[in-house]
Amino acid sequence: MVDPLARAPELDARRLRRLQLAGMASGFTAGAWLGAAEAPTKMVTLGLSPVVISLAMVLGVFLARWSLPALLRGTAAIGADVRQAPHLIVWAVLAGCLWAVANTLTIFAIRDIGLSIAFPLWNANSLLGILWGAVFFNELHGTGWRRRLGVLGGAALMFAGATLLAVASAAGAPAGHAARGVAAALAAGALWGTMYIPYRKAYLTGMNPLAFITFFTVGEVVMMLALALVDRGGIAALAAELAGARDVLFWLLLGGFVWVVGDLFQQYAAKYVGISRGIPLSNTNQLWGLAWGLLVFGELRGGAATTYGQVIGGSLLMALGALAIALASATGAEHRRWQEAAAREGARYGIDPAYVRAALAGESSGVSPSRRSWLDWTLVGGATATFVGFGMVARVPQLTLGWGWVAGLTVAMLALLCGTGWLLWRTTRFN
Amino acid sequence: MSARLAAMLHDAQLWVPVAVLIAGLLVLWWIR
Repeated sequence: MVDPLARAPELDARRLRRLQLAGMASGFTAGAWLGAAEAPTKMVTLGLSPVVISLAMVLGVFLARWSLPALLRGTAAIGADVRQAPHLIVWAVLAGCLWAVANTLTIFAIRDIGLSIAFPLWNANSLLGILWGAVFFNELHGTGWRRRLGVLGGAALMFAGATLLAVASAAGAPAGHAARGVAAALAAGALWGTMYIPYRKAYLTGMNPLAFITFFTVGEVVMMLALALVDRGGIAALAAELAGARDVLFWLLLGGFVWVVGDLFQQYAAKYVGISRGIPLSNTNQLWGLAWGLLVFGELRGGAATTYGQVIGGSLLMALGALAIALASATGAEHRRWQEAAAREGARYGIDPAYVRAALAGESSGVSPSRRSWLDWTLVGGATATFVGFGMVARVPQLTLGWGWVAGLTVAMLALLCGTGWLLWRTTRFN
Repeated sequence: MSARLAAMLHDAQLWVPVAVLIAGLLVLWWIR
């Protein structure tokens, strides 16, 4: 019998560095794809309800979250993961519910106080993530003050940069109900910051990110559907609005798909560098969102010099903050504290210690089925057919786009996807 | 009650997200 609380063998320094590199690269790639997820939704110029837009994106997310894991690892491997730690399904569904409520709150926050105030408020989720990481999962424990300062200072710099960027990108911010808007933005930040507790718990215990997101999305879609039904006043009204918007649903589904790719990398960042570093790095999505808005959709064209100064200053601050966090990677001493937190979790829930240790080291303790089953191909085929179907009836709106920049940004995103995907595969085999 | 369920019910990592979710739903209900 293996003692679950026995001191785990230390990872060698080279392996730890490679895992940290894969995690940091995942955080930056997550930022690029999460930021680009907004772009397809800008093609929707129809006056749809914000909650219906959010629901349609979540439906795209649902399709992608069931098909991508089936393609990358197969449902058999996901089932094997879940059998090791079935209690984590509760946390995955809970995290999905947190995401859906937070996303809906942001829509109301933008309506009431405008993006310039709302965005920095909910971006404070990274500060909450640092707190939860330290309190529950031993993050930033056993590390020197220089690295702690790197993470905290980096998050503070990114917060300042986010504020400047949000001020610059808010043109004609609505004047509304300030107290309600501030409450909505702060609540969204609290929900998104807390959502990382389930993420980190699952990955410390050994669950594969691809298995976690499969159940996360169930909570996400059920909660979003409930919110949309309440908002629209029943099934008939919601169905009528969705049917009326069928020629633009493709863009929303596509936005959801792009978001899933970003979120998948965010999950690997949370797993390998922890939430205190992973959340701020994926918050660089604001930079990418701004790049799409400025370069492709021509936002802020003809703006004042002050606005451009804010954009440049905010971008530099965010980049500096992200760099400070990237340079403050976990040391061997801190990683040992992570292993202690993982052993505590394993003992509490009776999980095989070998499984927990292997997963934290980015390895697989069991047999990973490499062949895909008929179920996997059905899921992939069904999702592809749905996208193609909506794509065929999609209407392309009359918008002036910077096509050169579309190509440039897409190439950059694909390069990050391939580079980080290859690094993750080589280092962890997507474990 | 199984040991796993008992462990879940005594786990602060379950109740903190549940409390935050309920608070978020209350804020949403208030601002609508």
